[in-house]
Amino acid sequence: MATQALGVSLQYSHSIGRGEFSGPGFRNPVALARGADDIMYVVNRSYEYRPDGKRVTICTVDEDYIGEFARGVSTAGVTDIVTEDGSLIWPTSVALDQDGNVYVADEWLNRISIFTSDGEWIGKFGTEGSGDGEFNRPSGMVFDADDNLLLVDSQNNRIQKLTKEGKFISAFGSKGSGDGEFNLPWGIDVDVDGNIYVADWRNDRIQKFSKDGEFLMKLGTPGEGEGELNRPTGVAVDRTGMIYVADWGNERMQMFDPAGKFVYLTTGNGDISKWGKDKLDANAEMWKEREIAQGIERERDFWGPVAVTVDDQDRVFVVESCRNRIQVFRRQEPMFFGGRL
Amino acid sequence: MTSTKKDPVLAVLQLSGGNDGLNTIIPYSDPLYADNRPSVRVSEDQVLKINDSIGFNPALAPIKELYDQGKVAIIQGVGYPNPNRSHFRSMDIWHTCEPEKVGSEGWLGRAIRDLDPQGENVLTGVNFGRGLPRSLAAPGVPVASVGNLETYGVLTGIEGDQRTEALDIFSRMYSPAMGRGQVMDYLSHTGMDALKGADILKTAPEKYSSSVEYGNNSVAQYMRNIAQTHIAGFGTRFLYTTAPYNSFDTHAGQMVGHSALWSEVSNAVSDFHTDLTESDAADNMVLLVFTEFGRRVHDNGSGTDHGSGGVAFVIGDSVKGGLYGEYPSLAADKLLEGDLHFNNDFRGLYSTLLEQWMGMDAKAVVGGNFEQMDFIKA
Amino acid sequence: MASPDIELMAHLMRRAGFGATYEELERHAAKGYDATVDELLSPKDQPDLEMDLLERYFVDWKEMNALEVNQAYLTYRMINTERPLQEKMTLFWHGIFCVGNSKCEHGGQIQTQLNMFRELGMGSFPKLLLALSVDPAMVFYLDNCMSHKDAINENFGRELLELFAMGVGMDGHANYTEEDVKECARAFTGWTIANAIPRYPYGRHPSQFAFNAADHDYGEKTFQGETGNFNGDDIIEIIVKQPSAARFIARHLYNFFVADEPQVPAWQGTPPRDIDAIKELEDAYFESNYDITAMLRVLFKSQWFKDARFEKVKSPAETVAGTMRLVQDFTSPKPGLHPIAMEIRYMGQDLMNPPTVEGWHTGQEWIDSGTLVERINFTADQIGNVALPGVKAIIDRLSSEGVNQPDALIARCLDMLGAYSLPEETRNYLVEHIGRSGELKPGTEAYGAQVAQTLQLIVATQEYQFA
Repeated sequence: MATQALGVSLQYSHSIGRGEFSGPGFRNPVALARGADDIMYVVNRSYEYRPDGKRVTICTVDEDYIGEFARGVSTAGVTDIVTEDGSLIWPTSVALDQDGNVYVADEWLNRISIFTSDGEWIGKFGTEGSGDGEFNRPSGMVFDADDNLLLVDSQNNRIQKLTKEGKFISAFGSKGSGDGEFNLPWGIDVDVDGNIYVADWRNDRIQKFSKDGEFLMKLGTPGEGEGELNRPTGVAVDRTGMIYVADWGNERMQMFDPAGKFVYLTTGNGDISKWGKDKLDANAEMWKEREIAQGIERERDFWGPVAVTVDDQDRVFVVESCRNRIQVFRRQEPMFFGGRL
Repeated sequence: MTSTKKDPVLAVLQLSGGNDGLNTIIPYSDPLYADNRPSVRVSEDQVLKINDSIGFNPALAPIKELYDQGKVAIIQGVGYPNPNRSHFRSMDIWHTCEPEKVGSEGWLGRAIRDLDPQGENVLTGVNFGRGLPRSLAAPGVPVASVGNLETYGVLTGIEGDQRTEALDIFSRMYSPAMGRGQVMDYLSHTGMDALKGADILKTAPEKYSSSVEYGNNSVAQYMRNIAQTHIAGFGTRFLYTTAPYNSFDTHAGQMVGHSALWSEVSNAVSDFHTDLTESDAADNMVLLVFTEFGRRVHDNGSGTDHGSGGVAFVIGDSVKGGLYGEYPSLAADKLLEGDLHFNNDFRGLYSTLLEQWMGMDAKAVVGGNFEQMDFIKA
Repeated sequence: MASPDIELMAHLMRRAGFGATYEELERHAAKGYDATVDELLSPKDQPDLEMDLLERYFVDWKEMNALEVNQAYLTYRMINTERPLQEKMTLFWHGIFCVGNSKCEHGGQIQTQLNMFRELGMGSFPKLLLALSVDPAMVFYLDNCMSHKDAINENFGRELLELFAMGVGMDGHANYTEEDVKECARAFTGWTIANAIPRYPYGRHPSQFAFNAADHDYGEKTFQGETGNFNGDDIIEIIVKQPSAARFIARHLYNFFVADEPQVPAWQGTPPRDIDAIKELEDAYFESNYDITAMLRVLFKSQWFKDARFEKVKSPAETVAGTMRLVQDFTSPKPGLHPIAMEIRYMGQDLMNPPTVEGWHTGQEWIDSGTLVERINFTADQIGNVALPGVKAIIDRLSSEGVNQPDALIARCLDMLGAYSLPEETRNYLVEHIGRSGELKPGTEAYGAQVAQTLQLIVATQEYQFA
């Protein structure tokens, strides 16, 4: 029987954010983790010269500001940088363990800092190097179902599995462009079966591995067409195995099916967030300036879509480093839920 | 100097980033203040009242104390026509007195040149901080810019006895020599000036003793350096420093941040005054505290954004304390694009300081005649 | 002592680039002078910086918003580019076609302009002027967006003639009339920018040039003796044909690359230092159909360039980038670049924020007692840091050469810093000083310190302030 397949797609929901060095807003956000009760943790990298803007923001999916923690430190006179516990220099990613503790990676310090869900510092680990359990510029992180940490050890071109205390369990990957090899990998996620997906950044592809690190599949080739990738930074997999890729160099987000086939792409749909509206209300003439601005539709587009996360309610979050904004999408699928006809 | 009367000296503290005037001198009884500041508001019971309508932010308690002694002139509604909300541009305008075109000469640079046209005293103007603010810049006007008074000078990276020797070689190398050309001569002369300035300045901490303990922050330390330099009596007439770059740019988290900043600044100002008084050096010093613009009347939920119509302070024993200018109205129809409307041109403030305090001709320095105020004791 | 080839190469690399380590000078010298000049003149044959990698670590460089972010990027470029002459020419045009952050407040928009200079700055002069006239930062900075057919604003029209392409006058006569200024401004009416998207809440967006036909004065104009219904591009075509344009660019190139000239406002009445050199450059300009690279080729291959050693006071950008290239620091992304970039500001050159449209005054005007202290201390602190790879390389080299006499040590240190020389008296002071510091034993830690301190004292000399 021939049937017409109905497509899975994404629908834009809303935007979160505005540009700020502290408080409600972000400054060059680079990563996001979804916690319990609609809470999210957003890592802000900020400008090199504004360490005060480096921090983790806690807010909700509905854009209620809760707080922030882990400030940056000044890097004037780099040899004497004071890197007290919990401070940040080059934060890259955030992951939550099963207790809700917040792990933040810093690729300059080669340090993972651990905080409670409220942002209180409780520990750290990390040693620079290429031996087991050592790392060189940690990028993405995610916890697996066993509550072990999968860490992208970017300049060692490998993925390490560590206990939540940072003890080495296993590793896979090496430098190169063949299957199972990496060139400065960045983002990482796991699916419900424990398979591991890695944004193999400089090879312009996503690779999929079994939980033991066995190569299973790759998707994406260099380019700007559908299904092609330009320096993908982030990857996320939802409950059904759909794969979301932050196609950073092409300023878009792409969706692939579990087999790695291209499904959908978006270049962004951002509109005014709650915090954005507050900002405009305080600068009311800007509402008028927006009315006469030419090409304001550019504001809807992604700029620097650096990370993507999907939660268990099928909400997809795209973090834009340059617009200090997170665009939220919702997966649409052709399943009838029994509403009104 | 034949006269026993001390020369008047002006110190300037620049609050960089745009201080929120509305939360500095607070119109606490105006219902529009509460309306516009749902999140970034100082409650009435916290305000240190000046009169029935306005009062100080509690973080300015030390300045309020000086105010109560009649030593603080509060310059309200200060600004310039067609306010610019860019930090850079607005600060440039305050520095150069050129609101219409982009100017390169600073008002104090011109004033230093007027006082010391031959550059006889390399320390007529001294800035504390890295890099020279444009307010002090003018071609051919030497101004020492001191990042650290304790170690100021050339070749500071060389330590101990080696340094003494290195400086000795430096001074021999830079001694004018014959027949090396005009540019080389100029370099030699400049190098010797720098050495001379440093040699004099480094004696300031040695000459100084005080019971005042300044805070451990850069504003306090630089205010201390200004006091040390002033007390040392090098003939310095203009002293300048800047609160950390853009620190007053309180777009977010203002309630905590702004109060912490003012607490540092007002303690530093008060310590400075006590220090000078202790050394009998307060009578010929006036301090100007200014910022490039005020901030938006309406808060943004967490802070305030760039606005206009700020507040400035003039502080010293020779100052007639009180309120000058008018507090700008918060009424919607009196605002300019959502900002307080200035009613008091900053060039009039400068003119008052130059003419009535420094005894100079202000017109050429500030670029015209502006209405002066009356905050200097006759 | 460095060979004459090395001395010449050091001169070339200081002027056409931001200096070089001694090893680089040796490599270039082996290739030959002319071959090196040709390589410098073909920047696109060399790889550009890897922006993807830089934007990964300097995340703020993808957005390029604040001035300081852009200054850090520009500093990094000057330190690391393998196309040094392209970057030098970018700085050259930036010093002439000035746009300042103080009236723009968007560093990224100025960076866009500098990218245009990188792309076109070594090509056709009229193409460059045209690109400049539609550059949004320039249109805004000089108020051309405020110039309307029924109410012209002369700012851009005037500066195009006075400061960008012709100069007020030459050989004692004026190059244009007040009438020319008005007609020029008329021709550029309607060359404007689209209304910008406000910066809040999501940051700045690049501005866009727009030609507003309804606001363009299509009437007849007479400019430099020619009459027609000129538009802006017609005006540029007329400008570039003038002898004054050839003279203006020739003199600027001479001042920037060969020897310090008086400041621009004095040019009408002060003849060039070397009129024959200027004439050769002017000829190259016309013969090549206004090609900047053709002028640069003549310049760098001329005897008068080769002879003009140490005739220029280094700019702050040259001082900082040159020092960093020598000590080989910040050759890959790492934190702490911002303070290095700020040194350029402290020395009196706030890049991308020149004091006025006239740009920075150059030559000895870079130096006052404050900026001299800044440049000496910065340079001495860097060159005295034996942990930095470039300093370590110098110490290792002198060690392996077995340099153990004070006068030889000074001679080799001067070589390593770019084949400098010092007057005998100064050398004697240094010899004396090293003599007092104890015996020179290559390979020891004390030796490293002695070398480092010698380098520090050399960079503190007047002579080292010249390029």
